[in-house]
Amino acid sequence: MPKRMLHRLPVEAYTELDWFEREQEAIFSRTWSYAGFAEDVSEPGAYVSLRAGLNEIFVVMGRDRRLRAFHNICRHRGTRLLRAVGNAQKAITCPYHDWTYDLEGHLVSVPAEQREFGEVDKSCLGLKPASVDLWRGMLFVHPSPDAGSIMEWFGEIEPHLGPHDVDELVEYPDGRASYEIKANWKIVVENYIDVYHLAHLHSGTLAMYDHARAEYGFVGPHYAFWEPLSADYAADIERNAPMPLILPPGQLGAWVPMLFPGIGLAESETSWSTYTITPLAPDLTRVENRTRVKNASDWAFGRQAWRSAGFWKGAITAKYDAGEDGDPLTSGDFTAEDVLACERQQQALRSPYFEVGPASRGEGPVLEHQEVVLRYLEGRT
Amino acid sequence: MKDFHELVVAAVREEIPGVARTVVFDVPVALRATFGWQAGQHVTLRFRIGGEEVRRSYSISSSADAGDPLRITVKRVEGGLVSNHVNDSIEPGARVDVMAPFGGFVLEPEPRGRRTCYLIGAGSGITPLYAMLRTILVAEPWSAVHLLYGNRNADSILFLGELSRLEEAYRNRLTVRHVLSRPEWGSPCWRKGRIDAEAIEAWIAENPPYAQDAQYFVCGPGEMNRTVISALTSIDVPTRRIHMESYGGSTDVEDTVAGVAAVAEIVLGGRRTDVPVAADQTLLAAARAAGMEPPFSCEAGVCGACRAELVKGTVHMRSKAALTDDDLADGSVLTCQSVATSARVGVRYCP
Repeated sequence: MPKRMLHRLPVEAYTELDWFEREQEAIFSRTWSYAGFAEDVSEPGAYVSLRAGLNEIFVVMGRDRRLRAFHNICRHRGTRLLRAVGNAQKAITCPYHDWTYDLEGHLVSVPAEQREFGEVDKSCLGLKPASVDLWRGMLFVHPSPDAGSIMEWFGEIEPHLGPHDVDELVEYPDGRASYEIKANWKIVVENYIDVYHLAHLHSGTLAMYDHARAEYGFVGPHYAFWEPLSADYAADIERNAPMPLILPPGQLGAWVPMLFPGIGLAESETSWSTYTITPLAPDLTRVENRTRVKNASDWAFGRQAWRSAGFWKGAITAKYDAGEDGDPLTSGDFTAEDVLACERQQQALRSPYFEVGPASRGEGPVLEHQEVVLRYLEGRT
Repeated sequence: MKDFHELVVAAVREEIPGVARTVVFDVPVALRATFGWQAGQHVTLRFRIGGEEVRRSYSISSSADAGDPLRITVKRVEGGLVSNHVNDSIEPGARVDVMAPFGGFVLEPEPRGRRTCYLIGAGSGITPLYAMLRTILVAEPWSAVHLLYGNRNADSILFLGELSRLEEAYRNRLTVRHVLSRPEWGSPCWRKGRIDAEAIEAWIAENPPYAQDAQYFVCGPGEMNRTVISALTSIDVPTRRIHMESYGGSTDVEDTVAGVAAVAEIVLGGRRTDVPVAADQTLLAAARAAGMEPPFSCEAGVCGACRAELVKGTVHMRSKAALTDDDLADGSVLTCQSVATSARVGVRYCP
């Protein structure tokens, strides 16, 4: 009897390279991938490049301000064309043999074509197209040029997300973070959607929400979650909000969905954040956060911080009072608490004595996410 | 071949008093299927005016997808026989011969799709675009529309009120920008002048596509269409995303090329007939003179009803407004505009 993780997937799904590679192929290469914020590619020629499962893809804006996505591999020998972010102006040249493509992906020049090749039929050596779209202020890419409408993927979950007008919000530079967690990506997802732990691991750090009244569930492969503000936080929200409110008073709360695969959002009364999860190895995962807030002056933010200081002084506490220096459980930082929980879970998998107990009601989403992963690996989608 | 059906005018409305009129038709239940239409299509009307039979095609200015009744909107053309007749003489209860809707300049709604549709038109060219705009707003909940509309002044803007009401109701999905060549003080004018390359670039920069499946629908006089298409292609809009129809104004007629007397092998409904063609006769006229009944409608090269495939010889087309470059490359010709330029020609009407 293979050991299981709460209770649908075997432990190997969290530790073995074979599982990791199958997921890269069957999940991360066949779904829409988060590729940044809309404003990352906002001028003709601007581009971003990224990995989407097994694919290298770049997104570039044309002069018609429409985005194009291509596989980031030269049609000659497959060399990667573009790195990171930048501005390609009018052409993309492969560093290896200087084959050059225009922003439509057409191959426009091959150095020493006559001497080296006689003739090259450039018309069938254009860059391979992928799909790109914008949704909720975010860029998404799909490796297939025939991915269809992104709303076929996100349309059903959209009504269960926050009422935020994401495009009206602006990025808060201090909210940008990128870090690695020494745990399998599914452990990171499962922690994100585990409702049971909110009142316990985060007893001191997320008490401004009323976890007992949370509403949550899956819509297709995506997970939706909403919870209201706690009574004392809501009582004088105009004063207690740490930043200017971005929702009308009748619609406050926190929407914390986990879009498949591994695209978490945290949409609250004062901020809108992404929590994107990228598997790096069976036991290593990158998390990137970006945050949007109200488009208001520094003065407005300063004033709100000052007004709410009294409330927050007592509202955030560490889980434990004393401990070693740097112990996440004494940090008063819910992210540090989550990282610790994920890494300890991963470590436990190595123990010969590891065995999981029963799953709580609030851990129902964990089981369901495991089912979704299984569905993709078995091609039942 | 499509036939005319007698429809009763259910209502008329002065769209712009003395200038343009909307005519709503009552389509009886038995003809609903025949008179179904896609946004962008037109109908051909047949009248007898002064003893002459005349036909004109008018775009349908309403959207079946939005549940609208069939209607056309006709602007007076100076000296225009039919446009003035419609504006002067058509009243509710009138009976008009109407051919079932057709045309290839269409917007097919994709209910699960998500597109950014750029509509660019001038003058009466708004009529099919207005139907498209209604269809997108109603039938594609995730798509957005940007309309760039050129006119002389505020008084010549068709559907001005309806457009601003829709803009209000669909604030996140519709923008309307008016370009006026002679704006008066206080006009709803986004930009003065004509729809030219600069206007197009500024407009797209101001309204960049959010949904990345961008489509461009262009409907205006030939000159505006050429300007718009060259502006769009110069900023790398792929031609397969551009859809166009010529409308109003002077269509590009090239009638300096003389035809030659010829024999035409005409395949219609699978049967071949050899027909003599006089030097100045169109293939359509020759076919009809020989007693054949090929499809046709506007006889002006605009509607595309008489389209056929050229399979032998060469022809000169006086106008080819209804054909795209792709159509031309595929060998399509408009028989109502084609005179023979070789002694033997062959055309096949598509089944």
